[in-house]
Amino acid sequence: MPGRSRWLTLCLLAVCLPAAGADLPAARLIVKPLLCVTEREADACSMTFDIRWKSQIAAEYCLNDSALNAPLRCWTKALSGAHSHKREVKEAFSYWLGTPGGAQRAAEVKIEVLRLDSADRRRERRMRHVWDVL
Amino acid sequence: MLRLTMHAFRNILKIAALWSVVALAHGQTADPAGNAATTTSPSATAQLPAPESHWRLGAAFGYGQRTNPLIQSEDIPVLVDLDIAWFGKRWFFDNGDVGLTLFDQAQSTTSLVARLNSDRVFFGKTNARFVNFKYAGNGEVQAFLDPATGAQLDQTVEVVPPDRDYAIELGVESLIDGDWGAATLRAFHDVSGTHGGYELSAYYSRRWLVGRLSLEPTVGLSYKSAQLNDYYWGVQADEANIALPEYHPGDGFSLEGGLVANYHITRSLRLAMSVNYERLADDVAASPLAEEDHVMAYFTGLAWTF
Repeated sequence: MPGRSRWLTLCLLAVCLPAAGADLPAARLIVKPLLCVTEREADACSMTFDIRWKSQIAAEYCLNDSALNAPLRCWTKALSGAHSHKREVKEAFSYWLGTPGGAQRAAEVKIEVLRLDSADRRRERRMRHVWDVL
Repeated sequence: MLRLTMHAFRNILKIAALWSVVALAHGQTADPAGNAATTTSPSATAQLPAPESHWRLGAAFGYGQRTNPLIQSEDIPVLVDLDIAWFGKRWFFDNGDVGLTLFDQAQSTTSLVARLNSDRVFFGKTNARFVNFKYAGNGEVQAFLDPATGAQLDQTVEVVPPDRDYAIELGVESLIDGDWGAATLRAFHDVSGTHGGYELSAYYSRRWLVGRLSLEPTVGLSYKSAQLNDYYWGVQADEANIALPEYHPGDGFSLEGGLVANYHITRSLRLAMSVNYERLADDVAASPLAEEDHVMAYFTGLAWTF
């Protein structure tokens, strides 16, 4: 249980430890914010992400956006790094830390999108029952 | 009973037919624009949302209350708010309401809905009490007076708030939305032979989103027929005594306003707050059974959507 609680705590704090490969040292990636809330399907969030990472072994790391082919930024023999990234968010994506040109992920954080409007407007029905207060 | 049910059913059919004509007319004016948007935009198919689950399951835990305007009754605590709903192409179940969607247009959705009347919930937790005054309506009480001398009488009388049954109501509901907000129009008639009346209502709401905080104020108007009001809030001759005089309310309008605020912590978890105020119809508030002229509801808690 303590291990599970710790894992949950780490995830809640947006700290995701990776399932690192044999040749890729583990790193810790912290991204804020983690959620984009939009009204409609077509709407997007304009967000500035504060991204920080730390590793116990100095190595060459690149920060990637899963929606882009090229890395956002790379560090040489670094133990930590920070980056600010402004971007429009319309669908869920991930920031991940890896080696230059490599597909292995040392750490990954998913940014999620919550759309409040439903395609089915019956889901927006207003209830009048006594127990329904939301 | 059968005659009453048939009469109610005929009324429902009339309402449904009228509603259908309005919904079709609305759909015909809205469709061309909608079709043009979907057929000429090549990116529209690429941006189709992922299909939603038929189910909507949620639970909110916190603290809230709905006040009870009925005399000698308790306010209704709300500690848990469960949300259990299923939406199919035509049929749906939404927290006790069962619906059949008749028309689903670009700007509106019209459904035939069966529901339980909401007034009955106030009659669930009542207490018998010996009183030495008369319930005079509008939350007021008066001393017992001797009709001959006008002198104050010193006596106590037991008052038992009357029982009321749940009514099954069938009706038509239209949900309309656009950039201006969302509206709900409803017309319901009793089909269970309980009160034999009907209710018409209209609500308007609009949602604002500020970062992760969504705010949705609502205003509404509801008309209830004399039969409905009389069944729930009237005092019948066989229920009346010196402390609870006979009373028969007429029809009337009630007004309500509310605000729902949600702060989304994750996709599934949110901090939820709601407050709602309903001003009862004048004839209902004037009933000896009514201690208050309003119903206030509020809730604050954490809500989880599965």
